[in-house]
Amino acid sequence: MPDFPILTAIVVTPIIGAALMTLIPARRPEITRIVALLFTVATLGLSIWLLWNFKVGDPDFQYVENYEWIPGLGARFILGVDGISIFMVVITALLMPIGLLASAHHVDHRVKAFFGWFLVLETAIMGIFLSLDLIGFFVFWEFMLVPMYFLIQGWGHDNRRYAATKFFLYTAVGSALMLACTLVLGFLHEASTGLLTFDFRILAAWGFGGLSITTETILFLGFMAAFAIKAPLFPFHTWLPDVHTEAPTAGSVVLAGVIIKMGAYGFIRFSFELFPRATVDLAPLLLITAVIGILYGSIVAAMQRDLKRLVAYSSVAHMGFVILGLASLTVIGLNGATFIMVSHPLTTGALFLIIGFIYERRHTRQIDELGGIWKPAPVLTALFIVAMFAGIGLPGFSGFVGEFLALAGTFISERPYAILAAVGVVLAAVYMLWAFQRVFTGKPTGENAKMTDATKREILLVAPLLVLSLFLGLYPKPVLERIEPTVRQKIAFLEQKTDYRQKRPHGFDSNRLGGESYKDLAKKALKEQR
Amino acid sequence: MTEFYREYLAVAVLIGAALALVGLMLGVGKLIRPVRPQADKYITYEAGSDPVGGWGQSNVRYYVYALLFVIFDVEAVFIFPWAVGLEPLGIFGLVEMVVFILILVLGLVYAWRKGVLRWA
Amino acid sequence: MTGFVLAAIAPITTPSVDWLGVAPVIALGGAGVAIVLARALLRRSAVTTPVCVALGILGVVLAAIFEYRLWHLVRADGAITTMAGMVRVDPFGVFLSVVVLIGTIYALFISVAYLKRESLDAPEYLALVMLSAAGMVAIITANDLIAIFVALEVLSIPLYVLAAFDRRRMASQEAGLKYFVLGAFSSAVFLYGVALTYGATGSTSLTAIGDFLANNTLYEQGTLLAGGALLLAGLGFKVAAVPFHFWTPDVYEGAPTPVTAFMAAATKAAAFAVLIRVFSIAFPLYRTDWKPALWVLAVLTLVVGSVAALVQTDVKRILAYSAIAHSGYILIGFQTGTIAGRQAALLYLLIYTFMAIGTFAVIMLASMTGDDRHSLDDYRGFALQRPVLGGILIFFLLAQAGIPLTGGFIAKLEVFSAAAQSNNYSLLVIGVLAAVVAMFFYLRIALALASPATGGEYFSDRRVDRWSGVVVATAALAVLATGVTPGPFIDWARQAVYFV
Repeated sequence: MPDFPILTAIVVTPIIGAALMTLIPARRPEITRIVALLFTVATLGLSIWLLWNFKVGDPDFQYVENYEWIPGLGARFILGVDGISIFMVVITALLMPIGLLASAHHVDHRVKAFFGWFLVLETAIMGIFLSLDLIGFFVFWEFMLVPMYFLIQGWGHDNRRYAATKFFLYTAVGSALMLACTLVLGFLHEASTGLLTFDFRILAAWGFGGLSITTETILFLGFMAAFAIKAPLFPFHTWLPDVHTEAPTAGSVVLAGVIIKMGAYGFIRFSFELFPRATVDLAPLLLITAVIGILYGSIVAAMQRDLKRLVAYSSVAHMGFVILGLASLTVIGLNGATFIMVSHPLTTGALFLIIGFIYERRHTRQIDELGGIWKPAPVLTALFIVAMFAGIGLPGFSGFVGEFLALAGTFISERPYAILAAVGVVLAAVYMLWAFQRVFTGKPTGENAKMTDATKREILLVAPLLVLSLFLGLYPKPVLERIEPTVRQKIAFLEQKTDYRQKRPHGFDSNRLGGESYKDLAKKALKEQR
Repeated sequence: MTEFYREYLAVAVLIGAALALVGLMLGVGKLIRPVRPQADKYITYEAGSDPVGGWGQSNVRYYVYALLFVIFDVEAVFIFPWAVGLEPLGIFGLVEMVVFILILVLGLVYAWRKGVLRWA
Repeated sequence: MTGFVLAAIAPITTPSVDWLGVAPVIALGGAGVAIVLARALLRRSAVTTPVCVALGILGVVLAAIFEYRLWHLVRADGAITTMAGMVRVDPFGVFLSVVVLIGTIYALFISVAYLKRESLDAPEYLALVMLSAAGMVAIITANDLIAIFVALEVLSIPLYVLAAFDRRRMASQEAGLKYFVLGAFSSAVFLYGVALTYGATGSTSLTAIGDFLANNTLYEQGTLLAGGALLLAGLGFKVAAVPFHFWTPDVYEGAPTPVTAFMAAATKAAAFAVLIRVFSIAFPLYRTDWKPALWVLAVLTLVVGSVAALVQTDVKRILAYSAIAHSGYILIGFQTGTIAGRQAALLYLLIYTFMAIGTFAVIMLASMTGDDRHSLDDYRGFALQRPVLGGILIFFLLAQAGIPLTGGFIAKLEVFSAAAQSNNYSLLVIGVLAAVVAMFFYLRIALALASPATGGEYFSDRRVDRWSGVVVATAALAVLATGVTPGPFIDWARQAVYFV
């Protein structure tokens, strides 16, 4: 165990900030803002330190912390970071201060509560990405609903109550089934081995010794209910546009950036190891829904009149690529899926921020009512263009790398799906460019002509995201070299546990596939408990 | 007559005695009381209050008395069998009954202090 | 002659009494009697109410001290059986007695301000609460169907009066009458069950019934099964299980809010204690017969409780249905028939006490004098105008909804894992889905609290009095503590599952 519990620190720092915030008098909102910013930046600092010290090439969990939580139920508080979660943590830590700053001056009522909930949300998200105990994971997963609900409900737009409740209930249904399946899994493990634990690593090594494939499939579907709703996978996506439209800008940034990644993250984290046979069996189902999601999301996005809804549907399409990549069950595809999860928050975050800026000026997001913004606001337009191209996946931006890898992986294993999905890439260009045309080009009329350009603060908010996206697009290696060992281990595990064999392109070095077996991992985990 | 039926003889005698006693009392009363009929005397007896008309057919104050009566009536029901077995029950039984009566007395004190027992 | 009588009547052996075993009941009942006495002697003097409150608190504290002693005693030497087997003090009983004591002291505390506000007579009210609490502790430690019945009446009759205590208010009267009529009916049903069980087994002692059934095969089981079913129905009424729940919404809505809190927390614990004790000690071998019945009861309770609350617009009614749904979860725990399930039910009752009392305490503080308007619209904007109190109420609601890091989550988690462990997947899935439905109506209340007021709201802006403040703060802390560090509480419940 490391000397300094860095992961606990990352999880706990924001909520300490939230607790401190309750002590600040309500009439001093400026102090509140500073405190909130301070704590999110501190979290960012911690996660960058973590990224810096992350051991490259190690597929295992690092910085593992393991504490007892609920005795008798085997539920522990286990945190650990691997090549997949490390980037989710960093991206979350990055988006939080940006989201805060973006909303800092247009949140003007109940400032304290807003920032308090925001910090609580960060704790919950960090907990989700770092938990290695299934119960702990569920705890954060479910707990995340609370701050999100109050953020949308308290500071959203006109129809916010409906949206907040819809979000809450949709997610709650999924997570309820997940909880049921988690418990069943844990107790099946107990019945089979005599050890009651929800430690992911131990359960992963167990891999359903002797249990029927039906049980495994049912449990897989239970987990999938939670992940598919959150991801959101077609046809469970209907909450997303409503919630996006009504959420405050900071909420949208976090929602699009991080929260919808949690579904895909859950798939990647759990399904391969816990339900290997079911994952292989049901991969085609995932592929189909992914392709439908990509095409449907793109087409519906093109039809939207509301800019925010448009980006929301584009997120459905992008998440389709993530699912496609991971359901391809190839190392390349999984690399791509994980990479999109890193890059999509950057581009979508930027887009939502810019839409937020436009909304603050014009108080509308209706595409019909906007037009010709280019003239009065050239800098804003330039930012949008960059963000748009990054989002479409223009080569040179991070979006391209991720989508390319996901498609390539799918092409190796499931060619028809890759071809169908590739159409989605084209469609993305269609709806984005069309929207751009309608909003920014043409002759500015009425209010649109009087629009002010982006301020320095706004540029500074969006720029880091876009620069990072460009950097990763040009030089994805730092990310990929950290992701890949973990991904390799997952696929290797799948091949150990099932008769699935990854289709390999020519010249693929099969010996490189491997990594520490999960049996050793489980042994390590057990040793920690003692 | 078998032994079995002879046991019931006592019951028959008791019934006869009861009927005789009631008949005797009513008969004697009929013979010696003065008879001066009046209309008021033929209405249902309701403690002097008019039984017809108005909402309550009886004064609510009777209710409290009825309750108190029931409580002490039940007390008596408990005390009789206890009294029969007092000797074998010994000091333990005595203490128990004192506690029991004390609690009831407390209720009476409470009712009294609350002014329940005052009519007006 | 005297000698002859003495020889003829064998001396009756009076049962030996282990006074410590019944000391908590005596303390509570004695406090109740003392309050009546104080009322009678002091009349309307200015010190009457403080003296009565002090007596009540004294009674609970004494009882708590006795329970503390008993806990260590029964943990070390095993269960204490006394009064000719009528009373049985075991870890299970002590645990739930403590739950009842917590509920009682909280109910006393929040009643102080309430009685003053509504200008109701405090002494009688307090005496009734204490007597009812005495009945609850008695029923929890009763080991004989007759004793259970007597204790059932002792706990119920004061509650009927308490429900109707705010007699100027029509709803309160209605609540009292309804509770009384249906409660008396259920007592009769229970008594019939006792009679049939006695007829089938020849005993009213739970342990004797259990022994009898273990050593004998009944030629004809109809009587026993009918008896068991009637017992279940009678107790189902007290725990507000569907289909015996019809009184709950009306009584919860109409009764004075502190009484509602008391009923929700303490009565539920007492009634579940009996339910679990009777079926686990007397009929453990008939598990295959009562488990399906409990399954149906649990499912109905969960579904009806959760779904019916959706269409309510009165906060107290919603909470009444939520109380019904909570009974459903406890039934899940019990239905599994395992030690883990019983432990889950115990833990649930403990945590639920804090949640329910806390919620109703805030509701009491929020309501205006008259205590008669609790619709959702009346509460609009409450959390905005009174952020601390409103925030705490939202916290309690989230806890009841089972959101992680609150006690409510741990309670549900334990119940669900008991169901999963005993392969009871149908109940598990129905349970988690009912929890989601329930979230919706808790959110409705939370939403109303956090919505901007429209001018039609109707809540109080009085300062929180010290007593109620203590209740709300400690209950919230307890709910938080059970949610974040559940270890000690689970340990405690684990030690308390046993009847020996």
